[in-house]
Amino acid sequence: MPVSASAIYFLNLRGDVLINRLYRDDVGGNMVDAFRLHIMQTKELGTCPVRQIGGCSFFYMRISNVYIVIVVSSNANVACAFKFVVEAVNLFKSYFGGAFDEDAIRNNFVLIYELLDEIMDFGYPQNLSPEILKLYITQEGVRSPFSSKPTDKPVPNATLQVTGAVGWRREGLVYKKNEVFLDIVESVNLLMSSKGSVLRCDVTGKILMKCFLSGMPDLKLGLNDKIGLEKEAEIKSRPTKSGKTIELDDVTFHQCVNLTRFNSEKTVSFVPPDGEFELMKYRITEGVNLPFRVLPTIKELGRTRMEVNVKVKSVFGAKMFALGVVIKVPVPKQTAKTSVQVTSGRAKYNASMDCLMWKIRKFPGQTESTLSAEVELISTIAEKKSWTRPPIQMEFQVPMFTASGLRVRFLKVWEKSGYNTVEWVRYITKAGAYEIRC
Amino acid sequence: MVPPAQSQRSPSPSQPSGKGEVSDLKMQLRQLAGSRAPGTDDSKRDLFKKVISYMTIGIDVSSVFSEMVMCSATSDIVLKKMCYLYVGNYAKYNPDLALLTINFLQRDCKDEDPMIRGLALRSLGSLRVPNLVEYLVGPLGAGLKDGNSYVRMVAAVGVLKLYHISASTCFDADFPALLKHLLLNDPDAQVVANCLSALQEIWGQEASSSEEAAREREALISKPIIYYLLNRIKEFSEWAQCTVLELVSKYAPPDSNEIFDIMNLLEDRLQHANGAVVLATIKLFLQLTLSMTDVHQQVYERIKAPLLTLVSSGSPEQSYAVLSHLHLLVMRAPMLFASDYKHLYCQYNEPFYVKKLKLEMLTAVANESNTYEIVTELCEYAANVDIPIARESIRAVGKIALEQYDVNAIVDRLLQFLEMEKDYVTAETLVLVKDLLRKYPQWSHDCIAVIGNISSNNVQEPKAKAALIWMLGEYAQDMQDAPYALEGLIDDWEDETSPEVRLHLLTAVMKCFFRRPPETQKALGSALAAGLADMHQDVHDRALFYYRLLQHNISVANSVVNPTKQAVSVFADTQSSEIKDRIFDEFNSLSVLYQKPCYMFTDKEHQGPFAFSEELGNLSIGVDDQRVEANEEDLLLSTTRKEDSLPQQTQGALLVSLDQNEPAAAHAQQTNSVIDDLFGLGLSSSPSPSSLLKLNAKAVLDPTTFQQKWRQLPVSTSQEGSISPQGVAAMTTPQALVRHMQVHYIHCIASGGQAPNFKLFFFAQKADEPSNFLVECIINTSTSKAHIKIKADDESASQAFSALFQSALSKFGMA
Repeated sequence: MPVSASAIYFLNLRGDVLINRLYRDDVGGNMVDAFRLHIMQTKELGTCPVRQIGGCSFFYMRISNVYIVIVVSSNANVACAFKFVVEAVNLFKSYFGGAFDEDAIRNNFVLIYELLDEIMDFGYPQNLSPEILKLYITQEGVRSPFSSKPTDKPVPNATLQVTGAVGWRREGLVYKKNEVFLDIVESVNLLMSSKGSVLRCDVTGKILMKCFLSGMPDLKLGLNDKIGLEKEAEIKSRPTKSGKTIELDDVTFHQCVNLTRFNSEKTVSFVPPDGEFELMKYRITEGVNLPFRVLPTIKELGRTRMEVNVKVKSVFGAKMFALGVVIKVPVPKQTAKTSVQVTSGRAKYNASMDCLMWKIRKFPGQTESTLSAEVELISTIAEKKSWTRPPIQMEFQVPMFTASGLRVRFLKVWEKSGYNTVEWVRYITKAGAYEIRC
Repeated sequence: MVPPAQSQRSPSPSQPSGKGEVSDLKMQLRQLAGSRAPGTDDSKRDLFKKVISYMTIGIDVSSVFSEMVMCSATSDIVLKKMCYLYVGNYAKYNPDLALLTINFLQRDCKDEDPMIRGLALRSLGSLRVPNLVEYLVGPLGAGLKDGNSYVRMVAAVGVLKLYHISASTCFDADFPALLKHLLLNDPDAQVVANCLSALQEIWGQEASSSEEAAREREALISKPIIYYLLNRIKEFSEWAQCTVLELVSKYAPPDSNEIFDIMNLLEDRLQHANGAVVLATIKLFLQLTLSMTDVHQQVYERIKAPLLTLVSSGSPEQSYAVLSHLHLLVMRAPMLFASDYKHLYCQYNEPFYVKKLKLEMLTAVANESNTYEIVTELCEYAANVDIPIARESIRAVGKIALEQYDVNAIVDRLLQFLEMEKDYVTAETLVLVKDLLRKYPQWSHDCIAVIGNISSNNVQEPKAKAALIWMLGEYAQDMQDAPYALEGLIDDWEDETSPEVRLHLLTAVMKCFFRRPPETQKALGSALAAGLADMHQDVHDRALFYYRLLQHNISVANSVVNPTKQAVSVFADTQSSEIKDRIFDEFNSLSVLYQKPCYMFTDKEHQGPFAFSEELGNLSIGVDDQRVEANEEDLLLSTTRKEDSLPQQTQGALLVSLDQNEPAAAHAQQTNSVIDDLFGLGLSSSPSPSSLLKLNAKAVLDPTTFQQKWRQLPVSTSQEGSISPQGVAAMTTPQALVRHMQVHYIHCIASGGQAPNFKLFFFAQKADEPSNFLVECIINTSTSKAHIKIKADDESASQAFSALFQSALSKFGMA
């Protein structure tokens, strides 16, 4: 059985109940108390998100300042339960229009109860698709559109769509201007040793789409991935064009993508949902272009002094630039005084995070920047333990750059009315866990 | 209308507060109930919101039930929903009032709006009042045949709800057959999915008692149904797909062509955005190919990429759930993942539970070609990140070393750890070096040189100290100052809190004595003296044993403590392969996360009245070194009998005969034991409350007899008792209670469980005749309740005993 949740609780950080929905009778009513007593008030909280107390298992997740707890009494499917929570939160967010936190829950608790009623019945997940739910759960709370009462916007077939086959798109959409926005967002994860060799590096990317299209359009997306191109060449029986091709390690698609066609023809074709959605996710480990190189040298001079030198090189195209670059250079807890010089941006000692926070608002490509600092430490008595050096961490965003080299080759929109569409494509690369040991 | 957060901090629903507000609400609701003025709905909505928010934070608002019902005559759908929610929450405790709601719910079930019909039907099923089920049957039957799929979808789950309230009503109305019909014929996929979930649950629970149900359950995984569902797989929602895939994984295709057909059909599911679908597909593929070794391996290769993607995307919680599954697969076939070790490197900010799993996997995948990199990485963690992870990584390095790839270099690294001079690193490393030496005695020379430099003052943890002491004893001839180091440790005997360390100390000093007698003699003398005076039974016994052994024959003693040892080739595996297979069969469930098969953590709930004989069966198996149970630490054989059966008098006598220079403590103990004996006659230091019934302080009963008696005797008393808050606080382990009850001459024979649920079996004997009392005591610390079942040879005395037992229990934690 996939989830069969007996109860769902939303708690704030203090342990007050914000939402409490019992689905089944097989757990006692004091489950919140058990959770508070055995998980929240102990050190257990951070140790494991799945815990057994008595005969029940608790799955919990912290999302901003709220704990969402699922209680089950059977041998449930954990991955499914967590995914359900994530999806439910996305749904709530799409209703609240933004943040999901304690205040939002308090302001919308009736709505949340309504939704919880719809998305899960007797512990089994039901329909979680925001597009469909929004048809009949409205904050206005008017009678649903298919009642006998005349309403402004009749949607004749809503219940069919509640459970229907093209569950993600309703019919009869009309836009004056047909537009498609495509965002390719990549995050680079890097773990580099102090000697500068790459220990681990991968890119997780996603293609986000915003569709404002009339009718039931069929879309086809072409990327410069290796398999897709080879397949195309094979079909058209002409050699693959020279140019960079990308080998995707693994791809997952939104449910709207026709997976059979992807497997046979290697093209991504789909009928998109209306509005914003995540079309696909992919992962790449080979041939990653790292946007930044970091060369640290940290010297401990005796017990009370340190010399820090960090050189950062941008290795993407000279015409591009990175935004919001933050480099966190760790320093020991007992730091007393720092004097920092940088060639660009600003750097400051941040005592609460034990690091030198170096911020550069705009970092052009093919340039380098250095930080040199002297750190004075408070001498401690009998502390022979040497400082355990955390890695240097880096944040950045590089617009119009993909670390994987992925490019959109074409995006075709086909609809029976034959309207023209405007397509917009953006690329951005962000730092995931970008860590350099020093 | 925001729930009044700041004012309501009452942590427990059992403390109602805001009484005034509730009666206010009642008044206002009553005024609105009859009103038809415009705007009534808005004010009703505000009031309803207040009621629901009170309900949420645990204030009892059941007193406004009738007013809520009166107000429910409305066409506002949001109001209706709030009302349904309220009714569903309180109907169970107000069955009479719930009857009031039946009327309007039934009316709503016939509403022209399918939405309202569905909602009403769902709420009707959620009332959970057994004597109202008759009102449920009609609407459910109509709902299953409703023209609208939304209503049918709700009705399908409604049948399951009915089944849980009253199974007989559900079967009488022949609902399962209707569900099956819908399962096979409904055009709507969600209806089909809900029918499937309901039928699986119903037949699954019935299967054990009815043959027909078992047949029906089998029928669900028959070829026609499986194919029917597979052909529609793409219509199902992602959650329903999980259900279907799970069902298909139980299906065993008769030939390999069918297996390939199914896998080809479902391969694209591995690319689904929902990780749960991907995992369900992986399970299906693994199960299908179990008998085809080659293909099974290919499946591993195929699922690697999707699994690694899932691990690296999503929240840490999600990635933990997936990692646990990856962990299981890695443990089953480490060599298949050997080249992917870099994916298992830890990131600095990952939570402990993720890192720990990754470390274990890194250990498992280490082989000749990647050991160097892996160990380098592990050493990085040992030096750099938080302490628990540092410990885990040192252990991991050790485990890899024990697997003998490139031991030489690893030993060097371990020795470098010792030079880091961090207490916890040293401690972990010592334990490892000890294990390494047991397996590779040839390394002793290098290790000893370093170990010899460690001052025992820097080692505080019992396990590490014990390891160090073991090495001091074992390699006494190579370590120059071994006798003196041991002597120093023996001088601090009194301050040593861990019995494990004291035991090792005794053995080590013995070993040392045979190798370097003149230097050790003094230390040995004082160690034995201290050991004999020790309060811990095992330490005392071992000292006594050594003492007599030495008296008897020195060379025999030598051969006992210093036998020629063979290097350990394989350390015992912690889990049997049978258990591992069980867990693998339960892929994609909690079993994988807990790393134990589901019967170990759900059975107690589902067996109903505790299958006692089986449990005691396990207990005796546990004694026979069945690792399974021993590992679980579910049942611990108490040491009660052993201690008690050892006659105290002889002990005292022995002590006297042993050594004239015995420290005063021994005499004190001897006198103590005599006094204890006196008390044993009835003048207990904590006097028994019931003077009518006296219990035998030294009652003895072996587990088999206990088991037999428990089976034969009827339950003479069964009641609920409560435990004081102090008791709850002291109830960290069952052992605490065991010791406490022993003072009252109630002995424990088996105990187990984890907070908050403990289960203990006690026995006691009348002081004057061999008449036994057997007790099963189930304690729940979160509710502070104890459920007690007593069986007695002499039923007439059971009341008196019960009183005695309860009063003893109530004193728990007071001391």
